[in-house]
Amino acid sequence: MNKILLLTLILIAQISYAEQNDDSHSHEGSHDMSEGNHDISKDKKIDESRYKLNTKRYEEFIKDISNVQIAIVDVEGMVCDFCARGIEKTFYKDLDVVKVDVDLGKGKVFIAYSKSVKIDFEDIKDKITKNGQTAISMQIEKL
Amino acid sequence: MGIIKNRNVLVLYILLYILSASVNARPISWPGGNTYMYKSDATKTSKNYHYSPSYKYSIGVGFVNDKYFKEEYINFRGTYLLDRRNTKKSQRNFYITGALSGKSSDNFFYGVHGDWETRRYFTSVSYINKYTKQKNYIEKELQVGVAPYLGEYGDIHTWLMIKAKRNTIDDNWETYPFIKLFTGDYMVEIGNKNSHWDLHLMARF
Repeated sequence: MNKILLLTLILIAQISYAEQNDDSHSHEGSHDMSEGNHDISKDKKIDESRYKLNTKRYEEFIKDISNVQIAIVDVEGMVCDFCARGIEKTFYKDLDVVKVDVDLGKGKVFIAYSKSVKIDFEDIKDKITKNGQTAISMQIEKL
Repeated sequence: MGIIKNRNVLVLYILLYILSASVNARPISWPGGNTYMYKSDATKTSKNYHYSPSYKYSIGVGFVNDKYFKEEYINFRGTYLLDRRNTKKSQRNFYITGALSGKSSDNFFYGVHGDWETRRYFTSVSYINKYTKQKNYIEKELQVGVAPYLGEYGDIHTWLMIKAKRNTIDDNWETYPFIKLFTGDYMVEIGNKNSHWDLHLMARF
């Protein structure tokens, strides 16, 4: 059984390493969507293929808010509710944040800010890092 | 809730909600977060409170009822995240943990814990050295699990798990299935082996 424990540890390390490599390749293709701006105030629709997100979840998120700008943040390590819970609590402490939601399936965090605020990706990244996850990129949408 | 196939599972869900707490092997929360854990098995029952100043470590206090050695004591416990690797689809963690009894300096433990999980699969391993006045021993534990469905944020998440554990007192491996549920800030693990219930609850706030 000691061997099984050892093998499990090695397996955890190997799978983790393999996934890390796999993700680093996939991110190369997603840099073009980082920190861009897009005004969707006319129809409140979003191009799913462009942002790789769950449009149903996103449309549910924006249906009762307006006059805001939304940071759609790509996050690594957000594999369960517990991981995401801290992110939600952290951003709700920010008085400029109107609403927060998480798309676990696509690894996205939606943060709606009032329009008067300049969204700072470094600040968002720092908050997510302090929560134990890794922010990779961000897209800003305006409603 | 569409996965509920029979009345027994429904009863289990209701029972777990009545208990209204949760389970996880990690006593580290988000920065500034608090964790309450209740754990009970054939050898001991413990109630622990932890505070996490950062996502890297937590400190806490616990009350332990050691059924095997028939003693009760308070533990002061710490856990530190040695290493974490985040990917888009997974997270892997290695922790060190330790505790010192308030009753006697002869009573303490230290060890390591590792886990790797995706939204679909979970595996963890732990190795704990325990020291008591009566006997020193080692506890090893291995868990693997699969999520039968992938819930969205805020849903009830379910894990079907298998746990194998061994301590050097009894010197034999016990392997048994259990179920792990969590939603929001609460988590529950419940399993049954040799007519003993293994229960682990956790709440974060």
